Amino acid sequence: MSEPEAPSAGGATPVPPSRSEAPDLRGRRSFLRGALGAAGIAAGAAGAAAGYGYRASQATAPGQAATDAAAAGRRPAVPFHGKHQAAIVLESQPQTAVVSFNVTAQGRAELTELFQTLTDRARFLTGGGIPPPVGISAPPSDSGVLGPTVVPDGLTVTVGVGASLFDDRYGLAARRPAVLTAMQSFPDDDLDPGQCGGDLSLQLSAGHADVLLHALRDIARHTRGGMQAAWRIDGFASPARPSGSTPRNLMGFMDGIANPSVAAPAQMDSLVWVQPGARGEPAWTSGGSYQAIRLIRMFVEFWDRVAITEQENMIGRRRDTGAPLDASSEFAIPDYTLDPSGAVIPLTAHIRLANPRTPQSRDSRILRRAYNSDRGVDAVGDLDMGLIFTCYQQDIKRQFEAVQKRLIGEPLVDYISPFGGGYFFALPGVVDSNDYYGRALLA
Amino acid sequence: MSTGACGTGWSQVAAGMQTFQIHNSSTAGAEVDLINPADGGIYAEVEALGPGTTRPMRVDVGSGRYAFRCLIEDTDALTGPTVRVAGHVKGAAAILPVTTDDLLAPAREYHAYVTGGLSTLVGQTGALAAAIRSGHLATARTAWLAAHLTYERLGAAYGTFGNYDTEIDGRPDGLHGGVSSPEFTGFYRVEYGLWHGQSATELAGPAGQLDQDVRALQAAFPGMEIDLLDLGLRTHEILENALEFQLTGHDDYGSGTTLATTEANVEGTFELLKVLHPLLAARYRQLPAVYTWLDRLQGLVAAARHPNGSWTPVDDLGPSGREQINAAASQALEELAPIAVISEPRRTR
Repeated sequence: MSEPEAPSAGGATPVPPSRSEAPDLRGRRSFLRGALGAAGIAAGAAGAAAGYGYRASQATAPGQAATDAAAAGRRPAVPFHGKHQAAIVLESQPQTAVVSFNVTAQGRAELTELFQTLTDRARFLTGGGIPPPVGISAPPSDSGVLGPTVVPDGLTVTVGVGASLFDDRYGLAARRPAVLTAMQSFPDDDLDPGQCGGDLSLQLSAGHADVLLHALRDIARHTRGGMQAAWRIDGFASPARPSGSTPRNLMGFMDGIANPSVAAPAQMDSLVWVQPGARGEPAWTSGGSYQAIRLIRMFVEFWDRVAITEQENMIGRRRDTGAPLDASSEFAIPDYTLDPSGAVIPLTAHIRLANPRTPQSRDSRILRRAYNSDRGVDAVGDLDMGLIFTCYQQDIKRQFEAVQKRLIGEPLVDYISPFGGGYFFALPGVVDSNDYYGRALLA
Repeated sequence: MSTGACGTGWSQVAAGMQTFQIHNSSTAGAEVDLINPADGGIYAEVEALGPGTTRPMRVDVGSGRYAFRCLIEDTDALTGPTVRVAGHVKGAAAILPVTTDDLLAPAREYHAYVTGGLSTLVGQTGALAAAIRSGHLATARTAWLAAHLTYERLGAAYGTFGNYDTEIDGRPDGLHGGVSSPEFTGFYRVEYGLWHGQSATELAGPAGQLDQDVRALQAAFPGMEIDLLDLGLRTHEILENALEFQLTGHDDYGSGTTLATTEANVEGTFELLKVLHPLLAARYRQLPAVYTWLDRLQGLVAAARHPNGSWTPVDDLGPSGREQINAAASQALEELAPIAVISEPRRTR
């Protein structure tokens, strides 16, 4: 939950042989069968208008300026290639979709093909462009949801693999990341197996929901035989209110104030990225990161019936400003040494348990990427809202699980209920146009 | 363009992704194809281009010969000048159009297949009705499955069957009263009764009606023509229905045999592919993948059949087995989808 104290980056013609009545072509091609008598005329092909272009050598069509202008209000493309997957170090985007897949590919060759296809689609979708024409060879190559030109809109694609991928199906058992297991069930959890785990996690984030759904449909269309969606949840990140602060979760509290700094390579290397040669980790994992996804229901109606002081004592921060209870500004560091008995920030406050800020707890900090979720109505008519908690770390036991264990029994648990999610290993980045997700894993 | 001219507005083009603006200055609707003049293969088409309108045509132009062909309604085809693109650049491949004439033989062959199937079917629905009349409901359950699968193997024909299909294989969806509606007839009505404890007396009517409807269909079928457009469309539509109604379990009215139905639908799809194969072999490069995935689907589904002839209901498959089947069915559908576009009957003259 609102575990603050993690290390911050903010985060014709067919006239078919006639049946009794006029043939029904369901509208297709019927135009050509019309009886309009036309004199000998011609349709004309006006000259080759050089492309809306993705070939730099060609002239720019007149419409291009307008296209650029229309795209201006959108987020720029996030570079796809890199040592690490891009979204991990980016602040939460306005919209996200988290989908867990089970891999149905048969054998290592099909698995490799799946990862190559995923890479190709992610590369295209994050960069944008005009989908290729198909002539009379197939239905359109693109859903058209974004119009004729696919805009990047900041789309990021994050791919992780679950422990189950390392079973006996693909001969990968010896390459399982050292501390990757199925997600543990904690005492305050109420997990639904149908919304837990999976062979592969896919998180898409972008500026707008249409871009996400376009990407999801495209990826699914190209990988149907290789993987099948097991569960899915959509989320959003609220804008900072007031501006400049950390976005709020649906309990009204700022969430993720104290992340480690993604701009500080030392922090990232000691907390987030698996390092070359680390503790029994297979070599391919270098540059990747453990990903914990927790789907958490928030009982917002119950929460809204709780006095503000009690709410703030449970979190350890002021709701309005985000300031720790012992300070007056959002980014102030709580000083627990001055408050050993919890007179100001209760010993059971969420932020204090999650990150006690002791020398011993330093290396359990995590990089949080939280999104809010809103999924309709439950059986008693309450709103089904919550949090898609995602965090990255170089050791899921040393970090996420250690934090989670400190939170067992915190007062906040009455207002939340973790029901799903999973542990995954976010693959190292795709470094260039010849690389693909998991190349070193599958080599 | 002027009257009597087609695609004369260009004399050269560079290789690469190009967009042509196609304008119809005639007074009638037209179709415009960009073709390889040597063999009539189509690189791209713009269909149903209204008089006075302009539409873009995007093409990945490679080395080769290109010409526009204009097909104005009620007018002979007009082919414009040939433009040559030199060099060795790979562009989009042209595909030979399928014509009405090309589809006549496959349609005849398919018609004969359905005729044979209907002849089997009337024997089976007769046996089903007889078993119910004589009160042998266990026999009736076996007879029901055999008859239903025979019908489902004809999948491509349901558009042709028209109202007969509604009577024979209709769902209660949308009927007032649902499964209790008197308008709910056919295989699913009888299935519902056979697997929900209805008596032979109660079921004699629906089973007799089903048998009668099947006989009426058999009598009418020789006069029915297979819509040529349907041949291609059904190659994916049969399994689209299987995915939507069988693999979801929607059309399980008690027997738990939607996987059997799916297998019958795969067989129906194979039959269509067989009659279209001569046309597809040279036109659809990915055709082998169609067979790969249909074979995989068929194998996975067949594994749900028990030695005693009963089937595992989809809900009892377990997540992993069900995902495997869904994956194979959906991938088969992706591979099948281009066939409808490729085998749509097109004008060439």
